[in-house]
Amino acid sequence: MIKVLFFARLQDEAGTEALEAQKAGQTVQEIKAWLKEEYQLSSLDQAMAAVNEEFANNEDTLSDGDTIAFIPPVSGG
Amino acid sequence: MNDRYSRQILFPGIGADGQASLQTKHALILGAGALGSAAAETLVRAGVGELTIIDRDYVEWSNLPRQQLYGEKEAEAKMPKAVAAKERLQAIRSDAVIHSLVMDATAEKLEDIAPGLDILIDGSDNFDIRFILNDLSQKYRIPWVFGACAGSYGMSFTIVPGETPCLQCILPAIPSFSVTCETDGVIAPAVQMTSAYQTAEALKILSGRTEAVQTKLTLFDVWKNQHHAIQVGKTKKDTCPSCGTSPAYAHLAGADDTKMAVLCGRDTVQIRPETSRSYDFTYLETKLSRHGRVQKNPYLLSCALPDYRLVVFRDGRVLVHGTKKVEQAKAIYEKYFLS
Repeated sequence: MIKVLFFARLQDEAGTEALEAQKAGQTVQEIKAWLKEEYQLSSLDQAMAAVNEEFANNEDTLSDGDTIAFIPPVSGG
Repeated sequence: MNDRYSRQILFPGIGADGQASLQTKHALILGAGALGSAAAETLVRAGVGELTIIDRDYVEWSNLPRQQLYGEKEAEAKMPKAVAAKERLQAIRSDAVIHSLVMDATAEKLEDIAPGLDILIDGSDNFDIRFILNDLSQKYRIPWVFGACAGSYGMSFTIVPGETPCLQCILPAIPSFSVTCETDGVIAPAVQMTSAYQTAEALKILSGRTEAVQTKLTLFDVWKNQHHAIQVGKTKKDTCPSCGTSPAYAHLAGADDTKMAVLCGRDTVQIRPETSRSYDFTYLETKLSRHGRVQKNPYLLSCALPDYRLVVFRDGRVLVHGTKKVEQAKAIYEKYFLS
């Protein structure tokens, strides 16, 4: 089981701040693809991903108990 | 007067020598909108010796809820932000040396001023300019503090050349989608929180306390009550085109090609002539007043056409308000300025 966290407008699009899923063993890329499909998160490809509060690459694999957070880039100022 | 900085000196992180250091430093504030205003005020009050403020825009009523250096008088007069910011900042501290530049921050112009700068503060609203800042920071070995916010969400990251990863390590390409004030609005506390992180980092660097610098990417949402600090150390790569072993600084080379830009969060296109030109405002006023009401101040002239509004700056830039379509803006520009 892994935990998924959404920030900012991804949270609004997903309709939830966090969710749990049986996705241990999958890569960040695979989890993104699944979330895009399941929650229609069109902007997920642009988001940065962090696993256990550390920046993650698309190839990184998640383990049981990991938390993955999706962080959309923000540009205003 | 003598105890002006006494509380900062008393703060152990800064102390007397840290304060003395701040007062000899020169900061660039790139963009004088919400984040730029907040950073400029904090740094001027803190005693930073010299500030250069660059902004291409003027004060509008929709800026007033969060752009803390401006009031109704500046919005009414459509004062350029860099000019209005300097005026307010000198009233706060008369001995601050402040350079205000009403212009587009192109790579070429930034390279001219870079050698004298001690820190770059991001008060911009788009990633094109941030990637230029990132290359500038690496090429001239100047720390820079990235900051951005929209809605109730914001983030900050400090880039110290040679030590931390750079923006390009974290974002390999300019994002084609990002959360902006246009799509998500913005509230002042998101600005203030982002600025608090940015200016704390600036005070650390300028007072010589680089060991205190936050090495994580900080992000928060003041409405959704989220707060995180993400470790990014492992993103630093020798192959990075900006901070790696063979840097290309591509954003400094090609950036001046943009002659037209759609302004973030605004129904506006900016047109920058290929060579800087200065208009005769008196002639232009006569010409344009046949088409709509003209208003002018020493820095810009504005004309309300039936469907659009044109704003002409002294450096020749024209803002076409009322469209996001570059082709449409170009046609309007040609009709009123080139015919």
